[in-house]
Formats: sequence, structure tokens, C-alpha cells
Amino acid sequence: MSSLNVVASTPLLITAGAATAAFTAGLLPGRTVRRHGPALVGIAGIVAAMVMSVVLWDDRLEAFGGGLRADRFSALMNLIFLSAALLTILLAWREPAAVDRRGEYVGLILVSATGMMLVAGAGDLITIFLGIEVLSVSLYVLCALEVWREKSLEGGLKYLITGAVGAAVLLYGLTLLFGATGSTQLSEIGAQLRGTSFTDEPLVIAAMVLIAAGLAFKASAAPFHMWTPDVYEGAPTTVTAFMATATKAAAFAAFLRIFSGVMPDLQADWSIAIGALAVASIAVGNIAALVQTNMKRMLAYSSVAQAGYLLIGVAVGSIQGAEATLYYLLAYGAMTMAAFAIVIIREREVEDGDMLGALEGYGRARPVLGAVMTVAMLSLAGFPPLSGFIGKFLLFGSALEADMAWLAVAGAVGSMISLGYYLRVVTVMWAPGPEGGPRKVLAVPGPVGLATVGAGLGVIVISLMASPLLDACRGAAQSLLAP
Amino acid sequence: MTTADLAPLVGAAAIGDPQEGVPLALYLVVSGGLFLLGLLGVLTRRNPLLLFLAVELLLNSANLALVGFSRYWNVTDGHVFALVVMVVAAAEVVIGLGLVVAVFRQRLALDVDQMSSMKG
Repeated sequence: MSSLNVVASTPLLITAGAATAAFTAGLLPGRTVRRHGPALVGIAGIVAAMVMSVVLWDDRLEAFGGGLRADRFSALMNLIFLSAALLTILLAWREPAAVDRRGEYVGLILVSATGMMLVAGAGDLITIFLGIEVLSVSLYVLCALEVWREKSLEGGLKYLITGAVGAAVLLYGLTLLFGATGSTQLSEIGAQLRGTSFTDEPLVIAAMVLIAAGLAFKASAAPFHMWTPDVYEGAPTTVTAFMATATKAAAFAAFLRIFSGVMPDLQADWSIAIGALAVASIAVGNIAALVQTNMKRMLAYSSVAQAGYLLIGVAVGSIQGAEATLYYLLAYGAMTMAAFAIVIIREREVEDGDMLGALEGYGRARPVLGAVMTVAMLSLAGFPPLSGFIGKFLLFGSALEADMAWLAVAGAVGSMISLGYYLRVVTVMWAPGPEGGPRKVLAVPGPVGLATVGAGLGVIVISLMASPLLDACRGAAQSLLAP
Repeated sequence: MTTADLAPLVGAAAIGDPQEGVPLALYLVVSGGLFLLGLLGVLTRRNPLLLFLAVELLLNSANLALVGFSRYWNVTDGHVFALVVMVVAAAEVVIGLGLVVAVFRQRLALDVDQMSSMKG
């Protein structure tokens, strides 16, 4: 057992420290400091934590007696969480929800990112549970940040109740896993379960079912997705964007850590349960998204469907599967962020900016934003040169290789259905629109425009740089599955 | 149901010697019962405060199982985990009560069935 080794936890400590500094900066005297201080402190902290994650890339360290690991997997996930946090803070520049509570906004985003990094680097059941709760509790507050708006409060309360039930179910599963093996250390549990099968271990079966259900709540996979559309619609849109990208990535980090990392020998049994979740999510998400007229609800159902594609890679359980899941998480993060960025911009201009109708003719008035949205939608739908296609190709390919063709078929059928709603957004964007162009167009603040174009370019860069990125994902997957 | 009936469920070794105090299986029965009660509460109650109470029941059923398992394996990991869970549960309830107060101040109904401004 290693001792207290702080180096492995530096990205986490920096982020948590930046959160404290941002909370404080929001309380300082002076209007300019209060308004821009927290965001600048937060951005500085995020950049420093990203640099530390890259520095730690080649190491395999353990901190706090094995409770926290720093390996390639945690480094890659840290970069995803931190990029999502960075884009969220930029998109929330002059966010109406955070006018006089900038410190709280930036601080809570950073605390949430810290919880996610705790999940991705977890070496212990306690760390996983603590991380999931830290990230959720700060998101409950963020969802209800606009306390004067009924929908925001309602979304926050609904998220809190379903999230707490999900966490309790997950906790009971973790408890049974501890009971079956007598240790909370993931490496120890892995050693205990090596060479066993579910038939000898009834406790492990119950633990597996409860853990999968609890994490499915967090990943908003069907049939545990019912909170997703309401919470995504009610929460401030910048928070929704963060939830849709980073929280989902954290839930998948936990899926991969527990299922592929700890129980590889039981894969034949749990892959059926995870595969069933995947098929249900693909079916429910894609069909429900077809009838939505609100962009935030449509993206919520689309995120349920995307969780289904991502679960295919988890169900396969091999290195290829984990690698495909990680690459698709990168691509999914960039394209979802880009899509939400357009909604955020439009929402500040008109009252009903989150409706699909508000985007009519918007692409002609704002060609750059139209192009970003088009790239995001085509990539989400899986059009060939874009990263969404590469990711789906790898996910479905890994399912075929593992003799789970039914998963690949479900994914392909789901992708075809998804064309119906993704392409509708593109046609509406570039339609001639109302006479005299779309209603009311305002100037976009610099940081918001930067984040929007950055996310759009991110989708293209992730497609072009597919081979070095896939090498990185493979390294991360190998460090996850290595004993 | 006697403890002997549970032997196939938790493994014969888990039942333990009657001289050694309360056997693990009984801890698990009570804990499982509390968990089911909590789930029933979550599914049937409509007042947010009672929902939080049901969630507390879920978390504490896990705590009981953790402590029972920890004693069975003779390690302290489970005790530590239970303490962490208590802290987390307290944090969750603080946020929950804060939200309930905010809802109350907006003069909205404290009934999750009536919270349906969003549909689709």
C-alpha cells in the first residue's frame, strides 16, 4: 500500500483550490473584480490543472493509500472534464443566471469538475461514491440557480430527488460489492473476483444490477432517464451544456472503472445487462427526440440516445470497446457543447430562444453560427468525415468483433432514426426564414463567440486528428484494464 | 424465515456462530427491509420532504449493511465508508431543504405531482 502521495492528486487539488479562490473573488469589494475575477481565476486554475494532467500522462501513481489513481485513463478523463468546464465558464460570460453570483457559479462548476476527477481517478469504492456525490450536489445547486424562475426551481428539485435516489441505489450496490469481497479497494476487489463467475456469487449479481442502475441514473440511460428532459429544459442552458457533456463523461468513467476495470472475468454476464440498457436508451432517446419542438428537450433525448451508443463500448468490455467509448466521449463532448452554444446565444436574444422555431433563418443571418450548428448536428447524426461517424464506426465495430452484432444493429437503426431530428435542425437553420430575417439579433460577447467557434472547430479537429487521439485513447484503455 | 433459510443466499459461512452475537444475515435482512421501505416511500410519497425522508432511509439501510459487512470481515473500511455516507447525506439534505424553502417562497405547491410546467 502506498502512502500519501500528493503528486498524483495535483490536478484535483488545483481545481478545488481554484474553486475556493473563485468563491472568494466573488465576495471581494469592487464591481469589476466581482464581475470578472471569478471567471479569470477559474480559467487560470483549469489551465493549470490541464497542464498537470498532461504532465502526469506517462505516470502510474497512487495517492492517499490507493484511494486515488493518476494513470492515463484519469488524465484523459480530466482533460475532458476540464475542457467542458472551461467552455462552460466562457459561455456563461454575462450569463443572466449568474449576474450577481458569479463567484458561486464559477466555484460550483469547478467543485463539480473536482468531483468528476475524483470519479475518474477512483481507486476505491469510497472515492467513487464521494466523487459522484460531490459532482451531483454542486449540480443540484447550479440547476436551481435562477431561483426566481419556476422552471429552474422545479428542475433543480426534480434533479435532486432522482439524483439522490440514483446515488442511494448505487451506494447499496457498492455496499454489496464490499460485502462480497471484504475490501473497498478496487485492485483488491479485482483480485478477489478474478476467475469467479456470477453463479457462485449471488451478492455480486445483486451488486452489479444495483451499480448499473445507479450509474444509469447519472448517465441518463433509459429506463432511468425520465428526469433528463425536464432538468435539461429547466436548468440555465450553460449548466445544461455542462451536465450533458461532463456529467455524462463522469458516469461513463465510473462504468468503465467498475465494470471493465474490476470485473473483466465476469464480462460475459454483465455485458447482457449493460447491452440491454444500451438498446433501451437508443430506442427511447431516438423516438422521443423526433417529436420535440424545444431544442433543449430535443438535445436531452438525443443525449439519452448517445448514452446508448456509448454503453455499447462499455458492454463489449474489451480494450477496443473502452477505446471507442473514450474517443466517442471526446467527440460527443465537442459536438454537444457546440449545439448548446448556439441555443445559449439565441436564448439571450429572444424570449423563446430555446424553441426550434426561433432558429428559423438564423443560419443565413449568422453564417458562422449556422456553420457551427450544422457541423454539430451532422456529427451527432454520424455523417462520414466527422468525428461522430468515426466514433460510431469504432463502437459498432467493437460490438461486431465481440460477437454482439445485435448491439451494432440496434445502434445503426437508431442512427438512421436520428437523421429525422438532427437534419430538421439543419434545414430550419438554413431555411429562408421570416421576412426581413430572424427577429432581433444581438452582438455576441467575445468569450461566448470564442467558445462557440472553439467547440465547432473541436469537432473538426477531433475528426482530423483521429489517429493520434485514438492512440491516446488506447493508452488510457490499456491502463484501465491492466491489473 | 430463520437464519438457516438464508444460508444459500449469503453463503453458509455468513450465518456464523450463534455465540458470536448477531449474525450477518440478520443485519442484511433488516437492511434489505429498510431499503425496500425507502424505495416504496420514494415511489408513493408526493411531498418533497417525505421524499427526502425516504432517501435517508435508503442511505441508512446501506449504512447498516456496511457496518454489518465490516464486522463480518473484521475490517474498518466499512465503518469509514458509513461515516463518509453520513456526511454526504447531511450535505444532500441541506441542499434539499434549501430548495424546498425556495419553492415555498415562490408560493408553489409542495407536491411533485403538481410540478409539471414542463412536458413532452
